[in-house]
Amino acid sequence: MDTTASGRAPVLQLKDIRKHFGGITAIENFALEIYPGEIVALVGDNGAGKSTLVKIVSGVHAPSSGTITMEGREVTMASATMARSHGIEVVYQDLALADQQTVYMNLFLGREPVNRFGLLDRRRMIDETDKLVKELDVRIPSVRATIRNLSGGQRQGVAIARATHWASKLILLDEPTAALGVSETAKVEETVRSLKQRNIGVLIISHSLDQVFRLADRICVLRRGRQIGIRNAAETDKNEIIAMITGLQH
Amino acid sequence: MRRALSIMTILASLLAAHAFAAEGVTTGPNGEKPVPAASLTLTAAQEQQIKDGKFTAALVWHEMSEYTNAVNAGARDEFKRLGIKVVAQTDAGFDAARQKADVETVLAKKPSIILSLPVDPATAAAVYDPARQAGVKLGFVDNCPAGYKQGSDYVTIVSDDLFQMGNKAGIAMAEALGKKGKVGYIFHDADFYVTNQRDGAFKKTIEQDYPEMKIADEAGMADPARSEDIAQAMITQHPDLDGIYVTWAEPALSVLAALRAAGNKHTKIVTLDLNEPAALDMVKGGRVAALVADEAYSIGVTLARASAGSLVGLKAEPFYAVDSIAVTKETVKEGWKKSLNKDVPATIADAMK
Amino acid sequence: MSSANTSTEVGSLASRFNLQQYVVYLGFLAIFLFFAFMLRDSGFLTVRNLSNIVLQTAPVTIMAIGLVFVMSAGEIDLSIGSIVAVAALAAAVTIASYGMAAGIVAGLGAGILIGLINGALVAYVRLPSFLVTLATMGLFAGVSRSMTDLRSISVTDETFTGFFGSGSLLGVPSLIWWTVIAIAIGHLVYRETRFGAHVLATGDNARAASVSGISVPKIRLAVLTISGGLAGLAGLLYAGRLQAAKYTLGETDLMTVIAAVIVGGTLLNGGKGSIVGALVGSLMMGMLNNGLILMGLSVSDQMIVRGLIILTAVAVSLRDKSR
Repeated sequence: MDTTASGRAPVLQLKDIRKHFGGITAIENFALEIYPGEIVALVGDNGAGKSTLVKIVSGVHAPSSGTITMEGREVTMASATMARSHGIEVVYQDLALADQQTVYMNLFLGREPVNRFGLLDRRRMIDETDKLVKELDVRIPSVRATIRNLSGGQRQGVAIARATHWASKLILLDEPTAALGVSETAKVEETVRSLKQRNIGVLIISHSLDQVFRLADRICVLRRGRQIGIRNAAETDKNEIIAMITGLQH
Repeated sequence: MRRALSIMTILASLLAAHAFAAEGVTTGPNGEKPVPAASLTLTAAQEQQIKDGKFTAALVWHEMSEYTNAVNAGARDEFKRLGIKVVAQTDAGFDAARQKADVETVLAKKPSIILSLPVDPATAAAVYDPARQAGVKLGFVDNCPAGYKQGSDYVTIVSDDLFQMGNKAGIAMAEALGKKGKVGYIFHDADFYVTNQRDGAFKKTIEQDYPEMKIADEAGMADPARSEDIAQAMITQHPDLDGIYVTWAEPALSVLAALRAAGNKHTKIVTLDLNEPAALDMVKGGRVAALVADEAYSIGVTLARASAGSLVGLKAEPFYAVDSIAVTKETVKEGWKKSLNKDVPATIADAMK
Repeated sequence: MSSANTSTEVGSLASRFNLQQYVVYLGFLAIFLFFAFMLRDSGFLTVRNLSNIVLQTAPVTIMAIGLVFVMSAGEIDLSIGSIVAVAALAAAVTIASYGMAAGIVAGLGAGILIGLINGALVAYVRLPSFLVTLATMGLFAGVSRSMTDLRSISVTDETFTGFFGSGSLLGVPSLIWWTVIAIAIGHLVYRETRFGAHVLATGDNARAASVSGISVPKIRLAVLTISGGLAGLAGLLYAGRLQAAKYTLGETDLMTVIAAVIVGGTLLNGGKGSIVGALVGSLMMGMLNNGLILMGLSVSDQMIVRGLIILTAVAVSLRDKSR
């Protein structure tokens, strides 16, 4: 894998991550490295621990033990705000968009720039949003459009654009195309692929193995909270991954 | 006229039966002596002068109820007779701020007269000042704004003969109970001179004129919504009450409900104001013995007449009082007509058949 | 931006915003023209009458500004009417003993305090605002009644009554100044500050707001406090205008304020609203009261017609949004 071979430090390194909820072990002994410009897929059956891992990485849950290292420095992530300040952005399954607001207000939700009078700098928000949606080729009628007037694919595009704008290190994508049709899925996948050029790491969760193979450089498989293994996408196939997910062979 | 005469006869006989009746007179909000409303008349020349004046009037009420409706109808009828056009009518819903807005609004139609019942005398000067300054003739029901001078600032006040109402309620109670027994007294516990005078007159009448009657329990009611609780407590503590006086008809219905709930069939109710459910209970031989009503329609007529007269130089007395009538099962038809200038409701007429 | 892109943008903007955004202005204009024509000889169009409408609606407008914030955040405040009475009485009583400045502090302070109580219960105890403010509406209606034993309190301080009610500056009545200033500040805060944006985001999608780093409880506390403070100001305006305070003040205003805000384009469920729309909605309510009286309708007919017009206005203004 050329990204790992380049010798650069991983943007995110998880070591010995464990998470218990009371007496129940949700995640045990998890380790993963994500490098800049790399797309890693996290796959596993329902209840395998994927969403717990997302919550650990996005700062919603603190791990019971283990370390999180970003670009060589160990970090703690006690809140979503802290995760964001470390350059991690999450595209939630429900997108977390404010439907009645415009595209540009959503892009800057909670982080709106103001001018020297303390008033919203709409010009700047509009310009930056416009620039970004063009770069990512998110096709929306206007950055002034209201979210609820957009299609599902357009909304997904806006959510990814927002994450892209703020993420300096890592973007977490939680089932980005679960609710989309074929052509919209293709469009979103194209957008995700274009993130590689921005040198950020991407951790994607998806039920669709076809999509995983289309997008991911490496695939990490979870089963009942245990890490089964990590494979380079180019060196494995669907059968092996399915076997790892279900535990029927191997 | 015949009806009026027959009522007068009943009243006269009632009064005659009590030669040593309780002394007391109704006074206006500023201690004015009452003048009988019937004494106010216009000459034919004055009426013609009013008709030629092409005057207009606005009616700015405090709320809308059957009572206000009757006052309103009396005023409208009298204005119509005098060729005065009523250009606006408002309802403030007991809100002084709204009443101020209403006064300001009707002024856009430049009425010659405004008839009104002030929601709140203490704040009323601010409410009526725009009209007063515009030279509109102001006629009031019951109350006048604090600080206003009769004659220069307003024409007159027309009200019930409050003492007479309470007094008649007392007499009606005595008649219903055969002049002896225990009475419960539910009065309006608020600083409102209309109800205060009526309640006081009832109490005074029972205490002074009927030695064999006794006010066994008293309860103040500040919030009409709580009248049923008050009645309940009173009936529980004194199940042997022969009669209950209630300060006005709406809470009396709650007392009626409480009596029914308690299975009490012997306690009589006397209250003030005409009210259909209460009257229905009365004509069906229920617990309501009498309803004392003022001649609300006459209030409107008198007020309209005095205000119209003031436009052509008539000097009105400061305070007119209209008569009241004790309506019983026998007189409900006449009483309804005289008080509200309406036929008795069909339900009551049917029940009497 | 390509020309094709621009034209679709303009097209979609036009179709999307025309009706729902401007219905309140069109409705206002239609009612105005109707009265102007029907009442052309009845003084409706006089400067005096028109300025009366603005003066009379000033307290409702002020309360409506607060409610736009509350409703935009997805909450409701039913206690504003009771706050008006408590604030007016607190001001009137305090002025009598300690003078005007103390009275203003007492009135506004009472409003802000009740707003804080509402807000704390909603934001931190996590009770629904509908139930919280329904309860405090009753609670403070009782407080206002017991404060002075149902008596009304006169306000004789002429500086106060001039400043809040009957005075004027540069020939413009003080109530109009209050309206203009409150609308200008309200609009600026609502449309052009981060706080306003966060209020809208909270009402629109509280979870999205929360994961975006917006403190949703703080927003809920803030909007209810603003609403309480503005209701307190409305109480001062009533006290100034009537030169007295009474427990009945504001009692009947709640429904008018809600109607004005909704007709003005603010969504009941939050996320979208307009301060200027609320002003126009409030003026529309005042104009309806005024015009229907001047038409010489009986009181019952006025109520029926007013109800029908409000129903129509609400139906039209919500038609597009409720899908």
